Amino acid sequence: MTSSTLVGDLAFGLGGIHAWAMATAAVIAASCALVGTLLVVRRMSLVGDAISHAVLPGIAVAVLAGGRPGGPLVFLGAVAAAMLTVWLTQGLRAAGGLTEDAGAGVVFTTLFAIGVVLVGLAPPGTHLDAACVLYGELAFLPFDTISIAGQPVPRAFVAGATVLAGLVAAAVATWKLQVFTAFDPAGARMAGIPVAAVTTGLLAATAVATVASFDAVGAVLVVAMLVAPAAAAELLTRRLHRMVVVAMALGAVAACVGYLAAWRLHTSAAGMIAVVLGLEYAAAAALTPDDGLAARLIGRVRLAWRVAREDRLATVWRAEEAGNRAAARPQTPHEAVVVRWLEFTGHLLRDGSSWRLSPAGRREAENVVRSHRLWEAWLGRHADLPLDHLHPPAEWVEHHLGAEMRERLEADMDERAADPHGREIPPEA
Amino acid sequence: MTPPTRPLVEFHDVTVAYGRRPVVWNVDLVIDSPCLFGIIGPNGAGKSTLLKAALGLVPLVGGEVRFFGEPLGRVRSRVGYVPQRETVDWDFPVNVMDVVLMGTYGRLGWFRRPGDRERRLARECLDRVGLADVASRQIGRLSGGQQQRVFLARALAQQADVYFLDEPMAGVDVRSQERIFHVLDDLKAAGRLVVVVHHDLRTAAEWFDRVALVDRRVVAAGRTIDTLTPENLQRTYAGHVDVLDDLAQAIAARGRTP
Repeated sequence: MTSSTLVGDLAFGLGGIHAWAMATAAVIAASCALVGTLLVVRRMSLVGDAISHAVLPGIAVAVLAGGRPGGPLVFLGAVAAAMLTVWLTQGLRAAGGLTEDAGAGVVFTTLFAIGVVLVGLAPPGTHLDAACVLYGELAFLPFDTISIAGQPVPRAFVAGATVLAGLVAAAVATWKLQVFTAFDPAGARMAGIPVAAVTTGLLAATAVATVASFDAVGAVLVVAMLVAPAAAAELLTRRLHRMVVVAMALGAVAACVGYLAAWRLHTSAAGMIAVVLGLEYAAAAALTPDDGLAARLIGRVRLAWRVAREDRLATVWRAEEAGNRAAARPQTPHEAVVVRWLEFTGHLLRDGSSWRLSPAGRREAENVVRSHRLWEAWLGRHADLPLDHLHPPAEWVEHHLGAEMRERLEADMDERAADPHGREIPPEA
Repeated sequence: MTPPTRPLVEFHDVTVAYGRRPVVWNVDLVIDSPCLFGIIGPNGAGKSTLLKAALGLVPLVGGEVRFFGEPLGRVRSRVGYVPQRETVDWDFPVNVMDVVLMGTYGRLGWFRRPGDRERRLARECLDRVGLADVASRQIGRLSGGQQQRVFLARALAQQADVYFLDEPMAGVDVRSQERIFHVLDDLKAAGRLVVVVHHDLRTAAEWFDRVALVDRRVVAAGRTIDTLTPENLQRTYAGHVDVLDDLAQAIAARGRTP
């Protein structure tokens, strides 16, 4: 796609039904990300899955009883069904000794199945359709509008925005309680926090967010909107209040990008949104600041390069010590590259067909050799190792001992300035 | 403060069960003055269970526990609790300061947010446990000993009169142990009661004023020097409690609690 057609799409989208569809998807995704974050940090992602499926019979019953999709009665039915799931799961565990995950697995699939059956029984003309319930249909939503201040506004957007506002308000008001309960339920109980009510509130909020999402993305993919943005945000920040904001933003962005991509490719918007959420997670896993794939890769390459440099400098230093400079000639192409680099940075000086250390190179080399021999000396003293086993560990540790550690190791020795092989340990450079 | 006539903590004939199976039997214990009090016993003796039961985290099947002569519900903010370190997920996305501030939540009520006063208090408490310089660190990046001290700082921030600590020295380096014991000693000096579930006899003899030797029942309780006797230790650590185990089995099988 060329950039001009993309701009054209955007302009068209922003002007019309696409803007409403995207806005609807975005508020829904943000609602799901908000409750999803608390579920994820409480390790309750499976509960989100269970609730998103189990609300179906509640919705079906509410609609069959005359409720309108997206209306208050439907929300009520959904919350009731969600609570029923949780209570039944706990009941099964208490009565039948089923583990929590197996119990939830039995309960929510059964309820979901009942819901599917009820939807099938719905008379034609009711606002219930199995395909819509399972997969949602974002593109249809903007056509069902209500009038606000004379402007037609999609009903689904109004419902979604109301839910989002309500959930944000509830989260702000009870944030402290949610965080304490999530982190340490026993401690929270001791502090007088109504832990059971806080948890029930979170589950009810999950049910509400799920129902608000049903028309747009359906029962199956709402799990992605609950879990994926929170999981990605958890990789990007280590503070819960930031994590919520990041998750909501990731959800909203994925909703818009996914919708546009689906429209271009003529495919399912809900599916595309979930795919984009997955891509966001993959990107977060790669880019997470501390221990992401990219950070780890960069760290490993850096370390390898430092080890190669230091080994080369130490080799030249030892060759000079032995009075045999020729021994320091690079043996492999890789070593040759390192030597060229050290020459370029002024650590090695060319001397005919061999190299010698510059003052800067000597300082660095001496500290590496010093680390190596100090470690051999320390190991020889404190570990039961034969003399010829001291070199390999020192070869590794020499790159990791800082000046402070070297000082401590030296203080531990009694005035001997030689390593176990009798070679001199150079002073700190 | 507490009227002197009311014991700080009293257990009256407390029996605790998991499901139907009793694990701690008929504990009767009165602690009437501020001190460092150790609950000592072998693994699986029910020490932690007893402590959790006192705090209402595990239901009692018999007896009652009172604090300052009142049921826990009426004096909650005066009772501090330091749970075992493994009971929480240390990868949880909060930093050290966030956790210590949780200690002030009980006093703040459900909806008020911690402000400057609470932050100042939290910093003070972190300073007391020697962690002032890691206040903004993610809790997962701390050592085990530091994590335990964060929990202690949270309890300090609660400014309670009675503290219950569940195995605070388990998996904790020697330096942190020393630090924790000193903080507990300071609490005692400030007139607080500190009850510690503990398993190391050597440090127990060194630090605790009073102890209860527990192995599914209280074997002996009193001043440390009078209680940690060879006979009592023998009865606690090599005692024959098969009778209690078999009885618990029988009760569980019959489906009735005592």
